[in-house]
Amino acid sequence: MIRYVLRRLLLAVPTLFGIIVIVFLLVHLAPGSPVSGGGEALRRPTGRAAEELRRLYGLDRPLPERFGAWFSRAARFDLGESFVDRRPVGERIREALPNTLFLNGLALALALSIAIPLGVVAGGRPEGAFDRLSGAALFALYSTPTFWAALLLQSIFAVQLRWLPLYGVASDPAPAGLAGLVDRLAHAALPATCLAYGTLAFVARLVRSGVAETREADFVLAARARGASRRRALWTHAFPNAVLPLLTLFGLLLPALLSGSVIVERIFAWPGLGRLYFDSILSRDYPVILGLSLLSAVATLAATLASDIAAAAADPRVRDGASP
Amino acid sequence: MTASTARGGSLRGLPASGRVALAVVLLLWIVAACSPLLSERAGAIRLGERLAPPSAAHPFGTDDLGRDLFARVVCATPISLAIGLVAAAVSLGVGFAVGATAGWIGGGVDLALSRLIEVVLCFPVLFLLLALAAFLPPSPMTLILAIGLTAWPGDARYARAEVMRIKQLDYARAARAAGASTPRILTRHLLPNALPPLIVSAAFGIGWAILAEAALSFLGVGLPAPAISWGGILSAAPPYIEEAWWIALFPGLALFLTVSAYNLLAEGLRTATTEKGRHA
Repeated sequence: MIRYVLRRLLLAVPTLFGIIVIVFLLVHLAPGSPVSGGGEALRRPTGRAAEELRRLYGLDRPLPERFGAWFSRAARFDLGESFVDRRPVGERIREALPNTLFLNGLALALALSIAIPLGVVAGGRPEGAFDRLSGAALFALYSTPTFWAALLLQSIFAVQLRWLPLYGVASDPAPAGLAGLVDRLAHAALPATCLAYGTLAFVARLVRSGVAETREADFVLAARARGASRRRALWTHAFPNAVLPLLTLFGLLLPALLSGSVIVERIFAWPGLGRLYFDSILSRDYPVILGLSLLSAVATLAATLASDIAAAAADPRVRDGASP
Repeated sequence: MTASTARGGSLRGLPASGRVALAVVLLLWIVAACSPLLSERAGAIRLGERLAPPSAAHPFGTDDLGRDLFARVVCATPISLAIGLVAAAVSLGVGFAVGATAGWIGGGVDLALSRLIEVVLCFPVLFLLLALAAFLPPSPMTLILAIGLTAWPGDARYARAEVMRIKQLDYARAARAAGASTPRILTRHLLPNALPPLIVSAAFGIGWAILAEAALSFLGVGLPAPAISWGGILSAAPPYIEEAWWIALFPGLALFLTVSAYNLLAEGLRTATTEKGRHA
């Protein structure tokens, strides 16, 4: 086990290095240079900001030296100042983070609490009526663009039925106490649904195929032969074993959720990381773009590592086997 | 020979849903080919008829400039289909090159290329897409490159696994033992047999690429104004969400239909190529 953890940690070092290189390339090679820019720029740093940028990223120095400087700053998580309001990038990210965590946490809870029972029941009787029906529904969700779903939900629940607010985080002024909590949840309902359904379809399909495969394994048949009920055989014998190999995929849910946040937070005017990233792209706020890219990639790497190690701790075959 | 029988077999083995999907895809391409007939109507601005609900004259209603939405949705078809197809091809090409190299050579090269795949997967796709699409000069080529260069890691992982599997199968080892050169083994034995799963991956890739293009256009960093795309039409919907639901409904429906058709086709191809209907 210790050997496995060490090996995974060691393999993460070049990946981390690669992440820092890609973020560096993103700003230095794509637009020619961030100060001269390329293409139709909506806003390009000029004057003081351009000078500042040159100094910060050392654009007047040779490439290897620039990379060295960026690397040492990235390693210390020194992300610089935003061009827009001259506040530290870390501070702007810290402000937006709770909103995104709240929304994504809600979305993830919603997705998993529906996807897992759905997957287990559908996988318990592959090709049965429920499996076919839920399969078709999940397939439709899988092909639905997030921004279209958001517009339709807004149109139905906020405009036609007037059940839920159209956008925003909370009413102004926000009611106090329990009413305040209800108000926040009402505001989060539509955006969280939009973020959740993609993850729901993804996880439910994986759980379903895992359970469908495992339910015929010897240990499940043996449990049935010993007199365990169908439900018990599925939930306590087939499901845990089916879900183990999926643990390693959970790290990759993080970048998917952040991608969704860019669109959802824009449509629902939700001041989180996704909106911060999109606004920074439009205003060419390079320090924020770099800081957010770096942080999200490093967070994903950490989540992938954690889920790999969790899978190895739960299943000796993973750590002894040749797989990653 | 091997390839042609495999291909014939997979088309005949296509389940009913896959055939319907194939028909829909073909129909969409025919619509795309005929769309220039409506291009004049799609561009005609009639401010007197702005935000008109669906009617006999305008089956999908009109937008904020009084332009006919039906004509605009039809005229957006070729761009979405073409960008989806070419971007998926770019992704497949890059992904196959990286994945097959890693799987074939193995060892240190595999370790290094696998890290590269892992690095790209660590970034939220839309972060990379937005940065590339917004920083490069706006053009169809930029969109295709941005989508292709962010989507390839998935294809690379498929290609790597497939090449590693086939490399150690008896027929590949027999060919090597019989003295076949590496290029010969690669082109005559490996490629034809690795192709079916890659075609499945490519078909899913097209659906994904169409969604990606629509998302970028919706966010305003897709093709600039005169070009019409479904995402672009949808980007006009939010300000009028309270009075004109049709601007949001119909372009999205076209997008949903197209992506579903490609995904359903991909599912069908997967069932057909994993011969004995081995359900994954």
